[in-house]
Amino acid sequence: MEGYLPWQWCVVWWFIALPCLVFGIYRLKKVLEMDHEALPLLGVTGGFIFILSSLKLPSITGSCSHPTGTGLSAVCFGPWITSVVCAIVLLFQSLFLAHGGLSVLGANVVSMGIIGPIAGYIVYRALRDTRVNMYLTVFLACAIADLFTYITTSLELALATPAEVGGITSSFVLFMGIFAFTQVPLAIVEGIVLALVFKYIVQLKPDIILRLKVFPEEKIRAARGEA
Amino acid sequence: MYEEFLEDIAQTNGLREVNTYLKLSAGLGAILLCLLSQNYIAPLFIAIVLSGTILLLAKIDARTYGGLFVLPLTFAIMSVAVIVLISGGEETFWSWNPLPWLSLAVTQESLNEGFFVFCRVIGGMSALIFIALTTPMTDLFVVMRQCHVPEVVLDLAMMIYRSIFMIMDQLVQIYHAQVMRLGYGSFRESIQSFSTLCGAVFIGSWSAGEDLIRAMDARCYDGKFAVLGETRPLEALPVLTVALFLGLSMLLVFLARDLTIMGAGS
Repeated sequence: MEGYLPWQWCVVWWFIALPCLVFGIYRLKKVLEMDHEALPLLGVTGGFIFILSSLKLPSITGSCSHPTGTGLSAVCFGPWITSVVCAIVLLFQSLFLAHGGLSVLGANVVSMGIIGPIAGYIVYRALRDTRVNMYLTVFLACAIADLFTYITTSLELALATPAEVGGITSSFVLFMGIFAFTQVPLAIVEGIVLALVFKYIVQLKPDIILRLKVFPEEKIRAARGEA
Repeated sequence: MYEEFLEDIAQTNGLREVNTYLKLSAGLGAILLCLLSQNYIAPLFIAIVLSGTILLLAKIDARTYGGLFVLPLTFAIMSVAVIVLISGGEETFWSWNPLPWLSLAVTQESLNEGFFVFCRVIGGMSALIFIALTTPMTDLFVVMRQCHVPEVVLDLAMMIYRSIFMIMDQLVQIYHAQVMRLGYGSFRESIQSFSTLCGAVFIGSWSAGEDLIRAMDARCYDGKFAVLGETRPLEALPVLTVALFLGLSMLLVFLARDLTIMGAGS
């Protein structure tokens, strides 16, 4: 929310976000040079992140709970490109709906665009080549991405407002506790919804998933019942 | 299902014809000054001036404008309550230790701090809403191109911009169709319907996006959306007004220094 974080912290988060964004833009260029047709998919993923994350529930912490929708993009395109998509989406959100803000954009990009997707991506990479069901992998990646986004947000808030007794740790635990009420169920629901969306993509338009090598070909064929 | 986008309002607001850079410097400057301010006067001043501008010059309906503040103010009040309770201080009015690692207290300092953060949020939000209500995204794309934002980012931004509207269109239609057929009766059904909704809309707008790219490819698209932008001339009076506004706010930021509502304090 605009004006909530003191300017020192705004600068710090911008500094962390910028190198990731630069690298993301570089990766984005590579992917688009290789595969022109990825642009519509990236656009729709971005649009989806926008819609999903505008479903807001208030929470007591200077921020609010909402699904993030970043997991799917992290699985398809990797965390760095996701961070660019997220930065654009967050900019649109502040200008279309007055959610978030420009000074806190850096902090939001770090939590929703960088840490969350990286966490989701790690889960996906770990499970990708195992025998674990493809949809379960997507579910876990999306849910974890969502949860880590909120752990980071709590940390951002705690660093800006340390408690008098117990300092940052105690306010971190406090913020996490408050978020947990809404965010844990939300993360699970989001995981289910995105896994089902992924299922639709696999059934109806699997070609790009194959081209981006999101999952091994055999797995996708098996899921489509072609094996 | 969703609130009206600010974008729709921005396309028809009273300040639509004012130079984009001028509006942006007023808005961004105000945000910056709100953040730098150590007192509550400057953000309040910024909020009042910008709200006046939005209501009188941009001719935005007062109810719409007020409605935009409901959500952020709810968050602000709740978060300020947390700040007041945990930030501590010397002059204690009330305190409570429910857990060994948690101590809640209302002090003079924490009240000062809470009120200050609250004003900063109000100031920042009105500046943000000022930009959102007076400057349509299409104008910002022109500015972004002129500021040499990388082409890929701009392309992607426009693609997302377009797909948001496509998604919204389909989403609302299918959602109403589902509600008519009692698709959201129970929790299980809701999850099922919502996933179907997302899946269908995802695939739908994706195909629409592909069609768009194909149509553009056929018309020699080279990875660069054409942006039709006319820069509106800078006029003396608006420039002076913005300069005066930013100058006055800056004066408040520095003159009032760390004035607090309850006096004393750090």
